[in-house]
Amino acid sequence: MSDPLSDLPEAVGRRFAEGGFSSGLSVPDFGACIEMGLEPLGFVQGFCAMQWGWFGSQGMRGSMGYPMAQAGGGYSEVFQCPHGMRGSAHRSWGQNFQQTQVEAFWTEGFTSARSRMMDEAIALGAHGIVGVLDTVNEISDLQISEFHLRGTAVRVRDAAPSALVPWTTFLAGQRLAKVFEAGFVPVAVVSAVSSVRVWGYCMTEYLIHGGAGASWLGTDEPQEIEQFVVARMAARDIVRRKARGQLDGDELHGVELDVTEWEVTDDDWEVRCRLRGNRLRRFKDFDPLPAPRPTVRLS
Amino acid sequence: MSGPADAPAGRDLAAEVRRAIAFLEHPPTRGLEPTSDLTIDEELIVHSIGWEPVELVSGLSMVSIPWSATLWSWGQGAITPASSAYEMAFGAAIARIHAQAAEAGGHGVVGVTVERAVHASSVDITLTGTAVRPIGAPAVPPDGIFVSDLSARDFALLTIAGWRPLALVQGASFVYAPRRSVGAVIQQRTQNVELTNYTEAMYNARETAMERMQSMALAVNASGVVEVKVAEGPMPFASHAVAFSAWGTAVRRSDTPGRRIDPAIVVSLDDPTLLFDAANLE
Repeated sequence: MSDPLSDLPEAVGRRFAEGGFSSGLSVPDFGACIEMGLEPLGFVQGFCAMQWGWFGSQGMRGSMGYPMAQAGGGYSEVFQCPHGMRGSAHRSWGQNFQQTQVEAFWTEGFTSARSRMMDEAIALGAHGIVGVLDTVNEISDLQISEFHLRGTAVRVRDAAPSALVPWTTFLAGQRLAKVFEAGFVPVAVVSAVSSVRVWGYCMTEYLIHGGAGASWLGTDEPQEIEQFVVARMAARDIVRRKARGQLDGDELHGVELDVTEWEVTDDDWEVRCRLRGNRLRRFKDFDPLPAPRPTVRLS
Repeated sequence: MSGPADAPAGRDLAAEVRRAIAFLEHPPTRGLEPTSDLTIDEELIVHSIGWEPVELVSGLSMVSIPWSATLWSWGQGAITPASSAYEMAFGAAIARIHAQAAEAGGHGVVGVTVERAVHASSVDITLTGTAVRPIGAPAVPPDGIFVSDLSARDFALLTIAGWRPLALVQGASFVYAPRRSVGAVIQQRTQNVELTNYTEAMYNARETAMERMQSMALAVNASGVVEVKVAEGPMPFASHAVAFSAWGTAVRRSDTPGRRIDPAIVVSLDDPTLLFDAANLE
């Protein structure tokens, strides 16, 4: 195996050589890890600063005034104006499409930072990393994002060294102990991002900006804003599929789904979904659990 | 190696962890790939009543409000276009999460988070939850699929008590805040007086929202609605209009007998931490 520290700053090697251990765990989590036979070896982290490179290529509305061809088989859907020929300001078409470059940006940033964190853990001889935290910081206004993953590398007491890459989990402490007791073993932290761009067409534009009810729309009843609904559902479906693609037969638990939307320019939006969770593998069946006993706490 | 000295007899968590970690050498055996936003505590609770998570599911809708350019500025009584848009958005979101749960083979959806946003010209509703089913149950539930905003814990308690969730139900009402004439304002300026038209309008709007929710529950043969949430208040874009909405989970007694929830009383021996507050010395 090549030196896992070769890609990391020199200071990492010096820190590890100093001896002792550092840990990002709270004292209760630290105590729970000791009880589980997980010995903290060191605080490990990985960084990756990425510059956004997608604005120039997918930022403009269409190409030569026509919908953009979607490369690579990603989601794309064109919405045509139902009104026939109108003025030049009329948005005669709209498009939803998956921004694969945005997703690739995220994937590369996250996996690079995770890989560096795992390299640090490998250098410490760890079996796994618990209590993983991940953040993304925008560095000034330079269109640079820094991905930062950190956690506590642990060794399983009395276990032989493993040739496998260290397992990782967002969990630590009692919650991790319950995972083991429930018959699961953590495999990896899972993170996926989807990005769907919405270039609004006339109907979306009118309905969002309060045009609903106008006689030429054909109805004065409430109408579903179809293009937006489709985009939001597509973004959620894509991110779920991407997460599923990382499971390889395992299970995904404790999922967090964050959705952000912003208007890039007039009638031009991005819907972005980020999904995080713990990939777990079942190593034994659930022990039969008694029905929970309700309690009332006197305090 | 044995567990800590005070660990219960027969429980060696460290040995269990070693066994689990060794299992990583083996490929996964089950292959069902469930996804879930439940915590491990919630999964254990759900499992304790014989259910399991299947899939993270969501449903949403965004519906335009007709005549929104003039709708919010002036008027009297109910704002029907807004109520209709809200109802339509909620209904479509429920239908979509229902469809996703059915596709995943779920018998119901628990822990649904309800995100609502009313804008001047549209209503956004987003529902996200985890589809669940009895362990090993067939894909098609005999009693239909339920959608519920009850937490996994509350779902378990409800089931133990012999009840079952049927549907997520809601009602909404939008109303103009009544205005007084200039003369009435001047006349009442120095008086303590109930604004009866205001009281009646708000009262009626609240009751209308609740009534719509209950009607929806009765339409699915529910006995009642639990965990009713009520949200109300003015909207930033319409200072003279107020929105009321209510939602909850419609429930009915199940065919299987339940048992009385008989909670045990526990007394925590933890001392609450008292923070030193210098202001007490003054």
